[in-house]
Amino acid sequence: MSAEMANEIKLISGRSHPELSDKIAKRLGIEVARTISLNYSNQETSFTVGESVRDEDVFVIQSTATGDVNEGLMELLIIISACRTASARRITAVIPNFPYARQDKKDKSRAPISARLVANMLQTAGANHIVTVDLHASQIQGFFSVPVDNLYAEPSFLRYIRENFTSDECVIVSPDAGGAKRATSIADHLNTAFALIHKERPRPNVVGRMVLVGNVDDKIAILVDDMADTCGTLAKAAAVLKENGAKSVLALVTHGILSGGAIETLNNSVLTALVVTNTVPLGDKLERCPKIKVIDISPTIAEAIRRTHNGESVSYLFTHAPV
Amino acid sequence: MVKNIVVLGGNSHPKLVESVCSILGIPACNRILGRFECGESRCEIKDSVRGKDVYIIQTGFGGNGAKLNDHFMDLCIMISACKTGSARRVTAVLPLFPYSRQPDIPYNKAGAPLFKGNPEGGKQDYTFDSVPATPGPGQQKGAAFPSGPELTNRLLKMTVNGKTNPDGYFPTNGVNGTNGVNGVNGVNGVNGTNGANGTHRSSASVSSQPGSFTTHDYENLSLVSAFQAKPGYKQWVAQAGTLVANLLTCAGADHVITMDLHDPQVQGFFDVPVDNLYGRPLLKRYIMQNVPNYKDAVIISPDAGGAKRATAIADSMGVDFALIHKERRPTKITERQNASMMLVGDVSERICILIDDIVDTGNTITRAAKLLKNEGASKIYALVTHGVFSGDAISRISASALDKVVVTNSVPQHEHKAKLGSKLDVLDISPIFAEAIRRVHHGESISVLFNYD
Repeated sequence: MSAEMANEIKLISGRSHPELSDKIAKRLGIEVARTISLNYSNQETSFTVGESVRDEDVFVIQSTATGDVNEGLMELLIIISACRTASARRITAVIPNFPYARQDKKDKSRAPISARLVANMLQTAGANHIVTVDLHASQIQGFFSVPVDNLYAEPSFLRYIRENFTSDECVIVSPDAGGAKRATSIADHLNTAFALIHKERPRPNVVGRMVLVGNVDDKIAILVDDMADTCGTLAKAAAVLKENGAKSVLALVTHGILSGGAIETLNNSVLTALVVTNTVPLGDKLERCPKIKVIDISPTIAEAIRRTHNGESVSYLFTHAPV
Repeated sequence: MVKNIVVLGGNSHPKLVESVCSILGIPACNRILGRFECGESRCEIKDSVRGKDVYIIQTGFGGNGAKLNDHFMDLCIMISACKTGSARRVTAVLPLFPYSRQPDIPYNKAGAPLFKGNPEGGKQDYTFDSVPATPGPGQQKGAAFPSGPELTNRLLKMTVNGKTNPDGYFPTNGVNGTNGVNGVNGVNGVNGTNGANGTHRSSASVSSQPGSFTTHDYENLSLVSAFQAKPGYKQWVAQAGTLVANLLTCAGADHVITMDLHDPQVQGFFDVPVDNLYGRPLLKRYIMQNVPNYKDAVIISPDAGGAKRATAIADSMGVDFALIHKERRPTKITERQNASMMLVGDVSERICILIDDIVDTGNTITRAAKLLKNEGASKIYALVTHGVFSGDAISRISASALDKVVVTNSVPQHEHKAKLGSKLDVLDISPIFAEAIRRVHHGESISVLFNYD
């Protein structure tokens, strides 16, 4: 009996996305640990763990919910810190949608680099390892001095496209220049055509027209991006594609944040479908918008947890999606 | 007029920021602080902070359209933004330090432990043959996970709907297949009798209820009462004080100024200097100016933990002291609800002054007031530094035997004042904080602020 076998996976779920935690637990064939998180009436967060985590391999799953980002983040930090003081052997923070990922550079004077702050906070709390999905900028991994496994939704998207379309009837479209790399990677794997939408900026801070580079005529245009927040860009891009003769337009997005008036924008847009993964809890948005379709990402995360626990390579998951 | 200093205010207490700034004779730093629609904080500092001495005022109180955790994250982001903006020094000013009370067990609104908990509960199931919950060397704790290429092969064999699931490693229909965990219980021999699977499932999902973000722990009491620690294991409660201290330092705070920390030991959680200001002089002055015949009054600590705080005031004013002791031993007396509280000292026909540091749900001081009234107190004051008044504190206090509640404006009090009216008096702490900021900035001693009378 080797020493490594003595410790087990302890799956701890924050309050933000219990459905995902349950799916991961079911997939791993274990149960979510007995814990309870609550807010006192003075709004301080309290966390209690009802079983021993001493010398165990702890995975804390917290996917910050839209609108409650800070609440979810503080809860995550408190859980990590509680597990550390309870002598866990290793604490892995599983954060499918990394909060503040877009505040990753000092783009104005005295702008905060909040993503780095979050990275430092997680390490200060005691996280030994981070697992996340489709970081907005993979450079965020450099903000950490602990290992960060950035999983990709791309294999799941590839499977979705292969199951639903043939490669010659669709075109992969990047809604902006920054996402070109992500979109070309998918286009290359599927051997399909690729197009790009370019935003003209006649003056700073003025969004001009959107120009399509490439041909989408009589094709199914598939927009690919990492997050859909207010969906303004997606809706505009879809309209441009439609004007350029696309048969239909759908969007494949990893993180469906869908804040503010996103649902109304989607319902009024020419998009036929928005396909998201379940990294972000969607709540009642599925009922409010019939266009949203969900791909389950929990097999990938569960497999990453299992491999991390057993000390196996995770890189297989960058190209393959477990079924 | 103070030069080279920047006072930056959070959203939690704009009035305090305003009055501190007007005392210092400088305008507050121009900034944008809000929230994106997705819930992330948005912070832009408009004025230059390069080479400046920055003071960021944010109190640990949820309000003004944001939650306590939002305010705390805002604070960390502001600190970090000033640091990356080349500020010379960043001082976090937290009139009320968040998470400074660290209960070792979750408490309910009556201040009692939230969970029955059964640290002893499992004992009846133990027999001489029982094996301890923690396996010894050489014992396997649970079914180990298959690893390596073998599992990859198995994964590849399975199809989407799990119909071909040759060896059933991954359960496809619920919890039946969770044998790995059941194995643990079997080894324990602890809860073999109580239908382990069913109870586990229901309790495990306590934290997993959708939409369980609540502001009141007792709103979903059913969830809370369903929670049980594993037999033989006492629950472990997060102690967030150290974490909060570390997070502030990690964000880049070089100095922390706060007031009346619940535990003075919190100062030791920091590696940076912490100035813990006292509200005591203000409270003392209030007693001297507003309590008639205060020399004949009795200063009372509502619990044993606050005795030191109360005796300090009583001694320096030469006033009698009494203590309320919370009886934790089980008593058979059930006729009075506050039978578990005992008064040590004499209060009959005298004015009572309760001294405490935080009034949160107001349970402690209202129960203390009831007890004092029963013991014959003529008039009851409560002097508290931080008036959080969460939950149903306001209605409880208005219905209580308290004649006057005096708090400082370490958290915004205008709403509480509007509801409690003349029952509430508010003392202004902005001069103390302004003076502390001025002295820290000029490198003068602030110890005079600790004991001036």
